[in-house]
Amino acid sequence: MYGWIWRHLPGPTAAKVAEAVVLVLGIVALLMLVVFPWVEPLLPFNQVTTG
Amino acid sequence: MNHNPPPAAGRPAGWRPRPAPDQPTVFLPKIDVLHAGPQGQRFIPEPDEEDTGWIENDDRLESPPPPKDTARRVVRSFGELFITAGLVILLFVVYEVYWTDLISAGKQNQATSSLDSQWKDQDTVGNGPQRGTHYDLAEGKGFAKLYVPALGADYHFTIVEGTTDADLDIGPGHYIGSALPGQPGDFAVAGHRVGKGAPFNDLDLISSCDAIVVETETDWFVYRMLPTKDEVAGWASGKGAQPQCKGVAPLGGPYAGLVGQETVLPSQGDVIAPVPHQANLQVPAGQQASLMTLTTCTPKFSASHRLILHSVLTNQYPKDPKHPEQVPPALKETD
Repeated sequence: MYGWIWRHLPGPTAAKVAEAVVLVLGIVALLMLVVFPWVEPLLPFNQVTTG
Repeated sequence: MNHNPPPAAGRPAGWRPRPAPDQPTVFLPKIDVLHAGPQGQRFIPEPDEEDTGWIENDDRLESPPPPKDTARRVVRSFGELFITAGLVILLFVVYEVYWTDLISAGKQNQATSSLDSQWKDQDTVGNGPQRGTHYDLAEGKGFAKLYVPALGADYHFTIVEGTTDADLDIGPGHYIGSALPGQPGDFAVAGHRVGKGAPFNDLDLISSCDAIVVETETDWFVYRMLPTKDEVAGWASGKGAQPQCKGVAPLGGPYAGLVGQETVLPSQGDVIAPVPHQANLQVPAGQQASLMTLTTCTPKFSASHRLILHSVLTNQYPKDPKHPEQVPPALKETD
């Protein structure tokens, strides 16, 4: 998977590194801002009310 | 070796074969004159920078060609997926424990400043007899402030109305329908234990008689935690004799058995009833004690149980708009 992505990034090595960093940051942002806020209420970690 | 062919018939007379060479033909090894070392030494060529055909620069040596083996590729893909899943879960922990704190701190600041400006506006409008206990209760909107000096002089949160996830992102939330600060009944507030600002992270560190101070627009209310289960028996002669425990004692009547701290199942909604654990008991408001109950999850990072803290109103101080610096002495009990 990672090897496939790396091979398909265009440009020389320096450009590939930059593209990979952008890709990782984008995925982290997607998780932090969209996926985790959505999934969190479904998980039994932080329910504090009774009844 | 004799290379001389035999005399053939039919040759002219006097024909003699050409004299054979003295030495037979030998095949000499090929010598690379450019790279040949001294005689007798093994030839070890040195890499030549201009020689781009040198084998060390061959890509095939650095990354072996992708194996054609399907099984191997599947196993490797699964491994990568598992590593990725582990990283995502780690990231979720960071989100839950740190990131939500940042987000909630912003929301809490906003709620506090909007409550401050609301109080300030109403101070200038209603001064004198019009002043009275008045709450603008709207879900997700702050209406009171909470101080627990035992958890530090800087421990303060704005309590919002409502206990939905969105409300509790902002700060501790008041159970809709439960009593309001100072009223007879049970002023019940829920708060997060982990992340989201974690207002009730240290709820288990509050001990009996510790002050839980609630500030409203018009009043200060000082609640104090009830004796714990272990302290009830020898309360009057034991901890109850300490000066800060004035007004705190095991409650009688319908409240018998109510202790300062308990751990219950999430389904036990009756811990926030006007008379806790007696949801069906009708007690006239005049005979109800003024309680405050805090709820959060326990153990940390788990939703299996709820940590409940019960406290009783011991003092009430009306706020004097001319002397906003006057605060209850209980706020100084920060030891």
